[in-house]
Amino acid sequence: MAKTYDYLFKLLLIGDSGVGKTSILFRFSEDAFNISFISTIGIDFKIRTIDLDGKKVKLQIWDTAGQERFRTITTAYYRGSMGIMLVYDVTNEKSFENIKNWIRNIEENASADVEKMILGNKCDLDSKRQVSKERGEQLAIEYQIKFVETSAKDSLNVEYAFFTLARDIKAKMEKKQEASNPAPRTGGHQLRANEQQRKPTSWLSRCSLL
Amino acid sequence: MSSSSVDEITEQTKDLFTQDGVLLKAAMGRMVQDLNSIGMLCIVQNGDGTKCIEWRPNDLITIDSDTQDQEWAVVNTIGRRQRTLSGNMTSDYATARARIIKIPLEDLKTFRVTRNNQQMQFSTKPGVWQTTFYFQHGNAEIFVAYLKNHVKTAKTRHDRNTYVVVEPNIETQVLNRSFAELDIFTENTTDVVWNLVSNFKQRPYETTMEAFSKLTDIVYYGNEGMNGKRDVSEEVADLLTKSMSALEDSTTVTRTGEYEVVSVKPTLPPRPCIPRGTPLSTEKWEGLQDTEGRVTEVEGVKQLIFRGGVAHSIRQSVWKYLLDYYPWRMTHSELRSLQRKRTEEYFSMKLQWRSMTDGQEARFSEYRDRKSLVEKDVNRTDRTHPFFAGDNNPNLIVLQDILMTYVMYNFDLGYVQGMSDILAPLLLLMGNEVDSFWCFVGFMDKIASNFDMDQAGMKHQLLQLQQLLLFASPELAQHLQQKDSGNMYFCFRWLLVWFKREFSHRDIMRLWEVLWTGLPCSNFHLLVCVAILDAEKDIFISKDYGFTEILKHVNDLSMCLDVDRILSSAEGIYHQVVSAPHLTDQIRIILGIPPLNTTTSTSSDEATTSQSVQQANGTGDGSAEAAERDMEEDTLEYDGIQIKIVTKTVWALLA
Repeated sequence: MAKTYDYLFKLLLIGDSGVGKTSILFRFSEDAFNISFISTIGIDFKIRTIDLDGKKVKLQIWDTAGQERFRTITTAYYRGSMGIMLVYDVTNEKSFENIKNWIRNIEENASADVEKMILGNKCDLDSKRQVSKERGEQLAIEYQIKFVETSAKDSLNVEYAFFTLARDIKAKMEKKQEASNPAPRTGGHQLRANEQQRKPTSWLSRCSLL
Repeated sequence: MSSSSVDEITEQTKDLFTQDGVLLKAAMGRMVQDLNSIGMLCIVQNGDGTKCIEWRPNDLITIDSDTQDQEWAVVNTIGRRQRTLSGNMTSDYATARARIIKIPLEDLKTFRVTRNNQQMQFSTKPGVWQTTFYFQHGNAEIFVAYLKNHVKTAKTRHDRNTYVVVEPNIETQVLNRSFAELDIFTENTTDVVWNLVSNFKQRPYETTMEAFSKLTDIVYYGNEGMNGKRDVSEEVADLLTKSMSALEDSTTVTRTGEYEVVSVKPTLPPRPCIPRGTPLSTEKWEGLQDTEGRVTEVEGVKQLIFRGGVAHSIRQSVWKYLLDYYPWRMTHSELRSLQRKRTEEYFSMKLQWRSMTDGQEARFSEYRDRKSLVEKDVNRTDRTHPFFAGDNNPNLIVLQDILMTYVMYNFDLGYVQGMSDILAPLLLLMGNEVDSFWCFVGFMDKIASNFDMDQAGMKHQLLQLQQLLLFASPELAQHLQQKDSGNMYFCFRWLLVWFKREFSHRDIMRLWEVLWTGLPCSNFHLLVCVAILDAEKDIFISKDYGFTEILKHVNDLSMCLDVDRILSSAEGIYHQVVSAPHLTDQIRIILGIPPLNTTTSTSSDEATTSQSVQQANGTGDGSAEAAERDMEEDTLEYDGIQIKIVTKTVWALLA
């Protein structure tokens, strides 16, 4: 199989029901927005390959159902994620408060070394805003996670968010490889197409094989 | 071992670890009534220092625990012992004791953890999983952790959920030597070797096992997992085979140049192609009612609907019966008064939430959360359909009101995502708030377990689907298993909302009304899943689809499925399965067919069994007797498969 990318990153979108996870993903993968989206049942993913510092990075982005009841199913897909977008809705206080629960959920179900980012979505709806940007920033500082407000509708910061998360994963991966491989011959171990079919494990362990 | 010595040591047995809420799913040589009972899984230390895994059914736990004698422990003898019992006090006690399952740790060869860590299987003999337990509370992780304190295990690489019990001293040496002889990594100085070396120092045994199991991957699955290392020599393969058999893994390996996992499965009889019928028409529907409006031939109606669905013009009426809003045997005037009663009831429940003040709402977070969830989902339910499209569409308010009233009707369940999908086609068809509500209630009663807080109902169905697929399409089931998709999670959406997202409104109405008949067996919707998957089998296997491709492909089937073709093949699969000579009780139970090995179904009972099944599937109420008088069973033949048709009338209507 001809390799069409240098890296494959598995990312995950989580957050309360209706915060706009699917819309963010749709904006990023199709550059479109649809006011009347349907709710996500179960799990789905979309693919977009981006160019990052001269490397082709294939992003496989998983979209999950937000309602708490489905968490036993959706957390099964956490394993193997390299990056997680935690999404809340700036017009919904509760979804912001729940970010802490989602972080706890990640700690229990995802790899410890997963990269994270907090997104405050729907920032175009300023008149309905319940959560200020400052509070979002404060939370991010508290957890030492990057943060940005987004609008899937107005296409604000969505590209930036995914590129930032992907770049952080790439940097972390390359750093880890340098540490474990004193004489890299090709400038980093690369994930292969068939890796995506393997059992999801800690993504770092995939890079080092054993 | 003599019985006296058993008595002496039983005093000293000690439970080292106990796990409650463990369901016995399968056990070789057990009577079927033992299966699916709940009990306690323990790690027990015997008086002589040996240890064993023990499962005790819950109803036994009150009995003194000093009744564990070694002889009962041998799982395969239990079935035989039970047959000798006669029913007096002593043998009741013995029956109870015989239900304990014991697996001595020294005999344990391998165990595995599956089903999202909720299921454990044990084997004392290569190639056979003798016992299967399902952890209802939490999962098997803690049990496995405790077990690993008492046995030395290694994970197999080709199936990370499977643990092989090893005896460290002997095996380590053998494996170390094997690994040194293999010497296949040394040519290339990559991080593979670096990691191997560093890991080897820290954890020599595990590292060896893991590297070794990676080799089994190469031999089993080709070497796509190992970049550029394509030549595994005959010598290496040979060594591997020897060591594999030393490990006594559950798979059988034959050496025929290429290495394959060999399994011999009995095949199913050919699948009959059963044509779909025409929809139940107005004339037939009226012909099946008496002058006062009672539906006299309930089974006949159901058969017709199963065969061909319902003509759209009478759906509004027929669905009320199928969804248990209207009882089949009520007269027109009785139905009118029922409707009046239900209307009052609906509006009084609606008033309960409508009269809630803002202040009340502010102090009632559970209600508020539900309301907000409903609002979010109503705004994204079937908005592309003209009935729900556009801003300020009044039908959205009706959708919202019905769902909110359902929250009051069943506050414990509340609102769960997916319910708006279930309701939308009902409202679209009924066009009436009250009727839609009560039909929704009827549908929810059928699928309430889909929305369990702990998702137990969904998990159970996914498990049953896996079992059905393994029986009906073993090659596909094995492929899914290999690709980490054996848990069938990719079918979650299908099951949660009964395929609502997979079909157009027109087609989903057809599919639902067929499924509501409950024919031809229980859980026919799972056979619909099997039919859809089986049609995609060749793609999955020939393209070697993995975990992600399987999910993507299944999600992308949405709106590309032919409802009649699927129903026809699901029915075909049903006949294939039930006429298979190797049909298991497990499958019988899923399909609602009485299992063969029950004590109630002795040979003398068999003549009446089929009749009682029909009654159980039928109306169930006393008035059914009237219909039974003119019930003459006829048999229809399609491709050599006999399909029972209940009444002459139906026979005539079908002809």
